[in-house]
Amino acid sequence: MLSRRTRIVLAVLVVTSLTFVILDLRGGQGPLTGVRSVAANIIGGVERVAATVFSPITGAGSWWSTMRDQAAQIDTLTAENERLRGEAQTVANDLARVKALDGLLGVASVGQYRIVPAEVIAVGPAQDFSWTVTIDAGSSDGIEPDMTVMNGQGLVGRVLKTTSNTSTVVLLVDTSSAVGGRVAGTEEIGIVSGTGRQDSLSFQLLDPQADLRVGDALVTFGSKGGRPFAPGLPIGEVVEVGGTPGQLTRVATVRPYVDVSTLSIVAVVTRPPRVDPRDSLLPRAGVIDPSPSPVPLGAAASATPSDAATPQPSDEPSPSPSVPAIEKEQAATLQPSSPGDSSGSDG
Amino acid sequence: MIWRQALVIGLSVFAAVIVELTLLSRLGLPGATPDIVIVTVVAIALAMGPVQGATAGFAAGVLVDLAPPGDTLLGVNAIVYLAIGFVTGFVIDPRDRTVPVVIGIVGLSAAAATLATAALDTLLGSSRVSWEQMPGMVLTSALYAVVMAPLIVPAIAWVVRRATPEVSVISG
Repeated sequence: MLSRRTRIVLAVLVVTSLTFVILDLRGGQGPLTGVRSVAANIIGGVERVAATVFSPITGAGSWWSTMRDQAAQIDTLTAENERLRGEAQTVANDLARVKALDGLLGVASVGQYRIVPAEVIAVGPAQDFSWTVTIDAGSSDGIEPDMTVMNGQGLVGRVLKTTSNTSTVVLLVDTSSAVGGRVAGTEEIGIVSGTGRQDSLSFQLLDPQADLRVGDALVTFGSKGGRPFAPGLPIGEVVEVGGTPGQLTRVATVRPYVDVSTLSIVAVVTRPPRVDPRDSLLPRAGVIDPSPSPVPLGAAASATPSDAATPQPSDEPSPSPSVPAIEKEQAATLQPSSPGDSSGSDG
Repeated sequence: MIWRQALVIGLSVFAAVIVELTLLSRLGLPGATPDIVIVTVVAIALAMGPVQGATAGFAAGVLVDLAPPGDTLLGVNAIVYLAIGFVTGFVIDPRDRTVPVVIGIVGLSAAAATLATAALDTLLGSSRVSWEQMPGMVLTSALYAVVMAPLIVPAIAWVVRRATPEVSVISG
């Protein structure tokens, strides 16, 4: 079938190829390496020339593959961007919590409250019109009903009921909440009740002829045995005064220091301070960070509150505001600690 | 006469190898690189006959193995290409070679070349062949060869007819 010439040529070619394969398989230096390097030089030179000749076309090809790569790279970078953004958000949240805890410890230590910290885990639905939240500390942590709940900004509410691991807290802005309050500086007493609105409370003075001004700060008066309300906790500041002196009722609108819509970390006061902190916890430069508007109160605690008849609004000269401005015999029990110092905290 | 055949075969094979290594494989096309070398070998075989096809295959294989960046064993491509060149040279009667048949032959040859080279490489101990990519490689190399066939085969046939009319087996 195949001519003799064909068979000879074929045989020669096949044998040569197989020889090459066997020689190359052996590896190492052989006759083939010389052939290889010579051929590589020659063909390599031709390839260089051809590459420059073809460079416009291959440039287009690499542009296409670069585009593909860049599209993939863009996808990777976008995904990583999203992930990092999420992480930054988480870090911001963590920072906020650290700040809240710091503030809480500051207040608790200055006021010498024994506290159990807790976190708000559930909020009552808005359509119930009742401002209640659930915290993750319960009777097994020592919480009992009618204990005060506070956070770094001031009074939050009181404990309504407990289970072994959670408690229900009714906030101070709830309509059923009524707290005894005391005006800082003038020592006027009244009732602070919630209105159901988160940014205003209603304060009714006991003495209708008392002097009340916008900007006055209120603290808790304290109940017997500190239950349900421990004394000395900041409530809010007066933003509007209704009526005139001499009227039968004198009602003021108070803006609470606590922002009830952003509650996260709170603390339950399990044992009130032995000594009433009076006005020492009010937000001045450095003690507490009040929520949104920091109105500097010069009229606080510098005067001795025992002579309430002379409310001299004098500016606090020293920048360390936690120096207790109270009767001398009680001064020894309070530590003049700086904010955030948890050395005295019983919590 | 033989020299002219040798010249035609040598030049076309050399050109094909250079084009494949410097142009086609640098385009970054998905899948296998378009194997213009095997298409040229098959075209020569179809135009000049099995012996010339085998010779062209041998030369092409050696060149591909020698040319940088060739890293395969010298002779593997030579054997595969020469076998393909030989077989396609006389597999079908020249008068029955219609265009679809020719294109089919080219496609099958490219696929066979890819498979056979990979199999031979693996047999001889090379571990570079990735067999899970093999179906994609075989398919794409056949596709690219089919695309190039209508350009290369008539061109080679024309050159053969003009340069070495005495061995030309097809007339179209």
